[in-house]
Amino acid sequence: MGILSAIILLPLLGAAIILCVPKDKPRVVQGIAVAALVLDLLLALWALASFDPGTLQMDALSFSFVEKLPWIPSLDIHYHVGADGLSFPLILLTALLSLVAGVYSLNITVRVKEFFFWYLLLETGLLGVFAALDFFLFYLFWELTLVPMYFLIGVWGGPKKEFAAIKFFLFTLFGSVFMLLGILALYFNSTPHTFDMVQLMAAHAGFSREFQILVFLAFYLGLAVKVPAFPFHTWLPLAHVEAPTGVSVLLAGVLLKMGAYGLLRISYSMLPAGFQWFLPVLVIIAFINILYGALCAMDQTDMKKMVAYSSINHMGYCMLGMAAVSSIGFSGAVLQMITHGLITGALFLLVGVVYDRAHTREIGAFGGLGSVVPVYAGIMSLTCFASLGLPGLAGFVSEFLCFLGAFPAWKWVTILSVSGILVTAAFFLRMIEKVFLGPLDSKWEGLPDMNARELLAVLPLTALTVAIGVWPRLALDLMNPTVTYLGRLFPDLFGALR
Amino acid sequence: MDLLPVVHYLPFLPLAAAVTVLLLGREGPESKLPLLGVTAMAACLVCSCVLFYQGLTGQLDLPYGASVSWFSFGDYEMPLGVLIDGPAVAMLFVVSLVSLLVHVYSFGYMRGDPRFKRYFAYLSFFSAAMLGLVVVSNLMLFFLCWELVGVSSYLLIGFWFEKPGPAYACKKAFLTTKLGDLGFFVGLLVLFAGSGTFDLQMLAERVAMGPRYFPPETAALVAILFFAGAAGKSAQVPLFIWLPDAMEGPTPVSALIHAATMVAAGVYLVARTYFIFAAAPLAMDLVAWAGVLTALLGAAMALVPYDIKRVLAFSTISQLGFMMLALGAGSLYAGMFHLTTHAFFKALLFLGAGCVIHGVHSNDMRVMGGLSKRMPSTFLTMAVATLAITGFPFLSGWFSKEAVLHAVYARSPWLWGTAWFTAGLTTFYMFRMLQLTFLGASRDHHRWEHAEEAPPVMTVPLWILALLAAGSGLVLDYNGLFERLVHFDLEGGGPLAAAAAPAWLGPAALGLFVAAAYAALWLYRGDELGADTALRGRLPGLVRVLERRCYFDDFFLACVACSDRLARLCARFDDEVVDAVFVDSWGGLTRALAASQRFFDDFFVDGAVDGTGEAVRDLGARLRRVMTGRVQEYMLYMALAVALFAIFLQTR
Repeated sequence: MGILSAIILLPLLGAAIILCVPKDKPRVVQGIAVAALVLDLLLALWALASFDPGTLQMDALSFSFVEKLPWIPSLDIHYHVGADGLSFPLILLTALLSLVAGVYSLNITVRVKEFFFWYLLLETGLLGVFAALDFFLFYLFWELTLVPMYFLIGVWGGPKKEFAAIKFFLFTLFGSVFMLLGILALYFNSTPHTFDMVQLMAAHAGFSREFQILVFLAFYLGLAVKVPAFPFHTWLPLAHVEAPTGVSVLLAGVLLKMGAYGLLRISYSMLPAGFQWFLPVLVIIAFINILYGALCAMDQTDMKKMVAYSSINHMGYCMLGMAAVSSIGFSGAVLQMITHGLITGALFLLVGVVYDRAHTREIGAFGGLGSVVPVYAGIMSLTCFASLGLPGLAGFVSEFLCFLGAFPAWKWVTILSVSGILVTAAFFLRMIEKVFLGPLDSKWEGLPDMNARELLAVLPLTALTVAIGVWPRLALDLMNPTVTYLGRLFPDLFGALR
Repeated sequence: MDLLPVVHYLPFLPLAAAVTVLLLGREGPESKLPLLGVTAMAACLVCSCVLFYQGLTGQLDLPYGASVSWFSFGDYEMPLGVLIDGPAVAMLFVVSLVSLLVHVYSFGYMRGDPRFKRYFAYLSFFSAAMLGLVVVSNLMLFFLCWELVGVSSYLLIGFWFEKPGPAYACKKAFLTTKLGDLGFFVGLLVLFAGSGTFDLQMLAERVAMGPRYFPPETAALVAILFFAGAAGKSAQVPLFIWLPDAMEGPTPVSALIHAATMVAAGVYLVARTYFIFAAAPLAMDLVAWAGVLTALLGAAMALVPYDIKRVLAFSTISQLGFMMLALGAGSLYAGMFHLTTHAFFKALLFLGAGCVIHGVHSNDMRVMGGLSKRMPSTFLTMAVATLAITGFPFLSGWFSKEAVLHAVYARSPWLWGTAWFTAGLTTFYMFRMLQLTFLGASRDHHRWEHAEEAPPVMTVPLWILALLAAGSGLVLDYNGLFERLVHFDLEGGGPLAAAAAPAWLGPAALGLFVAAAYAALWLYRGDELGADTALRGRLPGLVRVLERRCYFDDFFLACVACSDRLARLCARFDDEVVDAVFVDSWGGLTRALAASQRFFDDFFVDGAVDGTGEAVRDLGARLRRVMTGRVQEYMLYMALAVALFAIFLQTR
């Protein structure tokens, strides 16, 4: 078994072992879960050492760690996995965020066994989506994320958890049904019939424009729900508010990236004519996500809901970078997926920290916390600044590249979108002012600062946020050859934009 | 000794100090760690002193540039490197000098503060970012440092964050400058789309190749957008509103960041990209007019406040306007010269004001007066600074202001007239401040008696700055040293044209100086504020306009309120339309569909089934009536049936 399969299946193994542990031994369950998560990250880091991002001169996508085994030969279905500069950073991100959110989730006390069972199953699903190179497998993993998420929100969530869970479930299921239609359409229209994504990427020219547009729309419905792109985003604030902290981290940090990843991997690579046809709409949607998401965030009084809306804004930058259809724009978009995962993941953890203590997330309920919890205030402020795109921190590089890429293609939309930066700064600074600055409310005098578990969860993300901000090479070099290759594809369709 | 390659490491010294001071050791007023920051800045100062000397005497081979690859995206490389030219050498000296003095001074000023260590960490971090901004070779890095000085300004304005004033002011400062930075940001996008590089030297070469390689429209657009950023940082009209509020920060911070260095960063940005501005006459005009308007309004607004720091803040706005005006008028030399001398005397004024505030525990000049007897060192140094800023002959400000006025006259007599008048206002409000604070008799005897001269750790920096405020002009102007280091030859020759200005410019400025100084000293001569009150009573409208800062704050507050309403609207739209109509209505629709299906099921399908049953039953009931059980009737029916059958057969 190759290393990529090991990375994908290790959490599944962990989940299986957890099933065999008696319910009244939560410590053992936690131990197994953390061991699986740590091992998985170590495996991913080990893979990083041998990952070959390819060269800038390549003329086809080059996948590392490829494994291809026949599975259902009569339908030409294979167990086919591999990683390139687009998916490998996301696999690393998934392994990292799963670990830190898992460590944070050690504070879960009810039904611990089930929690970590579903949690590990979710991780396998997420990793599998990014690694799969066969549509059948891809769809399997795609749907595999859905059920654990449903239970994780529905059982361990907040007051309206059932409603949030069912809304999330129906919303995404609605999208994935269309995606399944798209997959089947591709299968039956390819000669020979295939689910092989690599072959389908190579075959893009073979489909007629009308066909591509139809299939693009089918896929778009599935992907846009995940991104989430306006107007399919309304499950997100609700799901986040209700989901437990650790699950929110994976939801925002990784699950949203499935949509963005699919847009590049499937929509752009396999259906370029459809992508081109949709591009003017995509850029408008990106703009709406950016400005509308930021404005909605500005009106929130619940910190978690604010961060949730800020995710909509940030994924807007990501879509704007994609709409550039150039190497720079794609660099920005893919880096934005990573940096948003790190930064927003950290933000959700940090909101969880204060919620665990104060049992409220209302911004107005706080004031002057800076003097009682200096460490927390410092890390939270740093993360907020990262999220509002302060240069020197990771978010800036990706946002900047998204804008830089998009500007030549979409001048006015890009200029208008820049205003989103100001709104983002406004609501984050207002939050900092209301929560940390000003006179201390005596109610919060005894508030304890962050403990070891919380620091252990947050600090790796903070460190990476700073590291990528100062030395963007760390992340960009992994993705650059792939992204540059993608950005140069289809000159006849997108040449005019570049 | 070639120190130029050392420049790469300069910003990292205070950066390392900042990180160490922040993360190591115990917080507390007794911490010795901040000495690390002082050491770092001292090292930077030594290096930049040598460079400045070598630069002035022409021993440096400028411009010097060197870089390594920072990161690559697509086919592009982003370099990480330094570019040292004349303005950079001057700025290096100014920044490291003022920063070191403020570090030292803060040991006295911040003594006993519970977050002593953190203060110095922020201060060193600011110095690192500012030094970085001065030396970096490409505009994206410049933007990075630019934002980092912004965030350190945010942290330091809000240093005493428990008080609502600083908590609000730091946010206001950050957001207002961010508004300008949006322009800078878009400017960077336009620039890269037009030229494919952020590297200053490559850009300069591109622009020098002529309009075919760098169209004038692009130059104008980029320059105007950059100026938006510069206007935010350097507090030009209409974005100056944050600077007076920034005075909520500790006074040494005001001296370093909001007087000498960071607010000059906007001027420096224009200077750094001067070749782009020079290619766009429209942008130059904009800079000049925005500059002169800022100078005038800033000086006018400095006439009314009683808060000593506010007077100095408006004065800073006004002086920054002068620098911009000089740049817009086409003289890089005059702008940078004024930036340099202003850094000395304005930092001195703020540090002196800090000593006063330290002594009387108030910012309000109405409770001061007569302090010259209690705080002689502070008084003497501040008097030197006042004379310097107002243009007393042979002090530093006189040289630089003359340079500015000459350059401006060459551009437009109207601009010159406004600037000349503004110089008069400057003299007036500065002498008003000096008179109200130090001269006359005390208005609050209790405070006066308890006012003590500051300790040497605070006064020594004052004397050093006083020396520079007095003598730097003479030295730098000697034999045109500074002009040779910092110059930019516009087509048609800006500085050369300035030399042709009429001889009466100097005496005109001097005459106005004497008149304004006399007027201020005479008006405010009394021990009470009688004359001031009378003057305010005479011109209530004007005073109100000036006190409301010409309503710029109200305008921006209205904008904020508007955007809040828009945000509320969006959030409600999201909840009540997008979510409720587009999403939940699907749920409702599905349920309605389900209900209608049930209705169909109940009414038609089930109805049909039931109906069949009922029909059979009905039939049964009717049949029951027929089936009476009487044999005779059956017989009758049978007979009838046979008869009918017979007829049927017969008729065939």
